[in-house]
Amino acid sequence: MPDVCLYFQVHQPNRLIPYDFFRIGEHAHYEDDGMNAGILNKVAEKSYLPANRLFKKLIEQSQGRFRMALSISGTAIDQMQRHRPDVIESFQELVATGGVEILAETHYHSLAFVHSHKEFERQVELHLQKIEELFSVRPRIFRNTELIYNNAIAARAETMGFDGVLAEGVDWYLNGQSPNFLYRAPDTARIKTLLRNYRLSDDLAFRFSDPSWPNHPLAPETFAQWLNDSPGDVINLFMDYETLGEHQSAETGIFHFWENLPNAVIDAGSQWVTPSEAVDLYRASREYDCHFLTSWADAERDLSAWMGNVMQQEAIAKIHRLEAQVLAAKDPVITNTWAKMQTSDHFYWMSTKQGTDGQVHSYFTPYPSPYDAYIHFMNALADLQILLKRKTQP
Amino acid sequence: MNRLRVLKLGWEFPPLINGGLGVACHGLAKALAKHVDLTVLVPKSAANHHHDGFELRGLNHLSIEEIQHAEHHYTYDSFAQVRHIPIQLDPYENGQTTLETLDLLPGGEHCFSTTTRKQLEMFQIGDLYGSDLGNKVVEFSKIAAKLALLQPFDIIHSHDWMTFLAGVEVKKATGKPLVLHLHASQYDRAGADARGWIFDIEKFGMENADLVIPVSHYTGGILASHYGIDPAKIHPVHNGADSVNTFTTRKKFPEKLVLFLGRLTAQKGPEFFLEIASRVIATLPDTRFVVAGTGEKLRPLIETGAFRGLGGHFHFTGFLDKQRVNELLSMTDVYCMPSVSEPFGLSALEAAQFGIPAVISKQSGAAEVLKAALKADFWDVNLMATHIINLLTDEALREKVIQQAQQDITAATWDAAAQKILALYQKLP
Repeated sequence: MPDVCLYFQVHQPNRLIPYDFFRIGEHAHYEDDGMNAGILNKVAEKSYLPANRLFKKLIEQSQGRFRMALSISGTAIDQMQRHRPDVIESFQELVATGGVEILAETHYHSLAFVHSHKEFERQVELHLQKIEELFSVRPRIFRNTELIYNNAIAARAETMGFDGVLAEGVDWYLNGQSPNFLYRAPDTARIKTLLRNYRLSDDLAFRFSDPSWPNHPLAPETFAQWLNDSPGDVINLFMDYETLGEHQSAETGIFHFWENLPNAVIDAGSQWVTPSEAVDLYRASREYDCHFLTSWADAERDLSAWMGNVMQQEAIAKIHRLEAQVLAAKDPVITNTWAKMQTSDHFYWMSTKQGTDGQVHSYFTPYPSPYDAYIHFMNALADLQILLKRKTQP
Repeated sequence: MNRLRVLKLGWEFPPLINGGLGVACHGLAKALAKHVDLTVLVPKSAANHHHDGFELRGLNHLSIEEIQHAEHHYTYDSFAQVRHIPIQLDPYENGQTTLETLDLLPGGEHCFSTTTRKQLEMFQIGDLYGSDLGNKVVEFSKIAAKLALLQPFDIIHSHDWMTFLAGVEVKKATGKPLVLHLHASQYDRAGADARGWIFDIEKFGMENADLVIPVSHYTGGILASHYGIDPAKIHPVHNGADSVNTFTTRKKFPEKLVLFLGRLTAQKGPEFFLEIASRVIATLPDTRFVVAGTGEKLRPLIETGAFRGLGGHFHFTGFLDKQRVNELLSMTDVYCMPSVSEPFGLSALEAAQFGIPAVISKQSGAAEVLKAALKADFWDVNLMATHIINLLTDEALREKVIQQAQQDITAATWDAAAQKILALYQKLP
């Protein structure tokens, strides 16, 4: 019976105001602070705070036998520090139980790795500092934005000193192997890759609340039995923290389910481990050879959620193209503004995908259409370009 | 001499307007009303009252009793035997509409069907260009013919295809001469291959008219060559342009601004604007292009712009109200109108009022009015781009174009248009 490794992602983007043409050059504040604070408040009340309370209780009651990992994006941390310091405290109390491992990521939840290694490392470093400052820990495991991963990212994470890296267990790279083992990327010496078991993860993240799912309603004991019946060393259940209470409301019974899952897993004979514990416990004897960039998003499991159409491609290329100019300006406010515009969500909202994945994109977007998302973003970008020009050529 | 009495049939009318047609009808009505007794009949008006010297009547304010006076006086002619007309309402709507059927009376006589309260009510609700446009056009014709019998007049003057059936009906009911005023044809809206119900109405109307007034020589040429209308009865009269209060605004950004203003449809050539923009930006990177308006080409245009990497310099405002349009004009450096087919192009004249030099397509009426505006065929994007670059870099040329445009727009008034139309009225049988 494999161990169970649980990781939740906590993230909030900085949504932009509908920045229209007439504001280009006026250097207004691009972000919709009211909306961002409002959404953070809503998610904090419905998800973060009750989930933190629940997991703190479960860790304490189980005397640390229930354990988990969290990765909190820098943009989410910044928003909480600004609007809801009490939520930060709640996370700190949860981490203080000793049962929660904090992971490293790009501070701005960006696709920087794809566009600039320098910016990527700058953002990871920034995030490490922030985590150390708030939680007094140094993460050993790296998770890139939306589990974006390939061989090169594993190699880069190893160079940066990480012991493990998270990735999606993509069927066409697993070639029939199970995701429930630790893997090694080609050309790496010691870093281990933890692959998300998307079937079991998505049972909890998506299907749990779907009444048309044959296993609905899912009992914790049933799910624990599925885990127990699986092959391998460790099953990686990776999902958004917001699936508790926000993507799936409290009425679906999601909190009740999680309240009982830890003991059900323990009773079934399995143990909970954090990613770094898994890395310490198990050998990575198999190779996971993933040349192309993969992610946990959409059916394609690639970058098409953020770079699938020409609007997304142009927007993301143009924001990264400003790097040299931004860094040359040496203005921390401008650098921060620019980096926040790299957050993956801006490009996610420009997706024109239809069908089930399209519905997921629409669920999260603050704009009437992907075209509006593109227009507002590009107008703000044009404004930023002018601002930079004015700063650098007085 | 007694004043002429003119019955004008219009469709949209300020403040209930969709485009240039309502603006033109209002401008012309005001100017004509100084010389003739004018009644303007439209399907929908904001209020039923005397208006700038003429009487404006909207069917939405009409009572059923008024119409019933006229019933039994007349039998339909042009569409009585029509039983079922499927219409493709392009370009205003994609849905299909089916017309109600008209029944023949025993003995084969076609008679006024009674206008029902319900039929009259449809002018009170809904959009003038909604999915029941076909129905509205036919009902408008019937009711107009009835009303025409209640009030004496000398000339019928119909504006655009929506009122052409009505014009023909009124002519048949009263025997008065019919003047058709063409602001836009289906050729402009849907291209040279356009055929169908609207095309047929236009052709039928013009064939039955005594005088056809297109808004430009360009459009007059299309009516003769494309619709086969006798050139002898085609007499172009250019629109006027009401003077607007112009002002200038300091741009918030340092770059030059080139503006496209209009519905984003094939007719207006927005794709050519994008091609022109990419060429100008290649030479003058510090230039911004703005597309103000919305339409079916918006999304493809956004995507093409992104594909070409023009995103940071090629902007979209969406639909803008008049105040925003003026704000935009007040900061524009060059106005570009690359229309594929533009009967007139009032916006180019409005831009000229703001002192903006224009680069416009030869396939436009405005090209006949703005003599010094730089011109090119709509497809000649290289020449268009060269013109824009020249206007942005050659101050002397820019001044020359602006100066000439000031003279041209001073001459382009609705009073001048009304004088020409009065002279044409005199020649009517």
